Amino acid sequence: MSRNKLYILLAIACLVGYSWLFFNYRSGAETDPDGPGVCLIKEVTHIPCPSCGSTRSAISLLHGNMTDALYWNPIGFLLGIILVVVPLWLLFDVVLKKDTFFRFYKKSETTLEQKKVAVPLIILVLANWIWNIFKAL
Amino acid sequence: MEAQKVDMFIMMNSKFFEGHHLSQIRERLLAMDESKWGILQTLQFKDPTTILIVSILAGSLGVDRFLIGDTGLGVGKLLTCGGLGIWYIVDWFLIMDATREKNLAKLQMVLY
Repeated sequence: MSRNKLYILLAIACLVGYSWLFFNYRSGAETDPDGPGVCLIKEVTHIPCPSCGSTRSAISLLHGNMTDALYWNPIGFLLGIILVVVPLWLLFDVVLKKDTFFRFYKKSETTLEQKKVAVPLIILVLANWIWNIFKAL
Repeated sequence: MEAQKVDMFIMMNSKFFEGHHLSQIRERLLAMDESKWGILQTLQFKDPTTILIVSILAGSLGVDRFLIGDTGLGVGKLLTCGGLGIWYIVDWFLIMDATREKNLAKLQMVLY
């Protein structure tokens, strides 16, 4: 993937992410976990997927409820950090015509493909998934 | 390289590449040194149909993207429930071409 393609894709993803958060913030999804969902796994099998609850987590973060955010889904923290950092980093790169983020992306891809990094992360995601199923999100 | 060998390679592996790339691949292979034939034979390509099945079954976990080597996009898909379910469906239509692109990139590593 080229630099520009990645940047456009990420910019669109961040835009969609922020609109999704805004939409859910307005409709109070935090208090209504049984509202209409977009997660196909949950809609079809009634079993939550590893990232179910991260919207509720991010909205709890916006309200400043750290413990609630952690309870709903720890992935929400990660998404929150990405949503803050990535647009700023992209803006920095685009304005200064650099490719620091692109190189970081490529480097982290090769890091993630190493077994000693990938296996613990897969175990973490699986553990989070099992926790999600127990919480019945 | 001999035209017979090249045509055999193209016949066996045409489904792994996009149609409009095949003639270019053929020309490149014909111009290639004979000594690389061995390496060429050991290359393992990803089957676009298999990846499409994975994409339909486990696409919202990003497994399809991980399999073809797009680790970054795979993580993105995993963390966002398959991009709020939209990317999951869009990828049913994109993943086969993406797989063929990755196969071409793999072949190019040997060709150049």
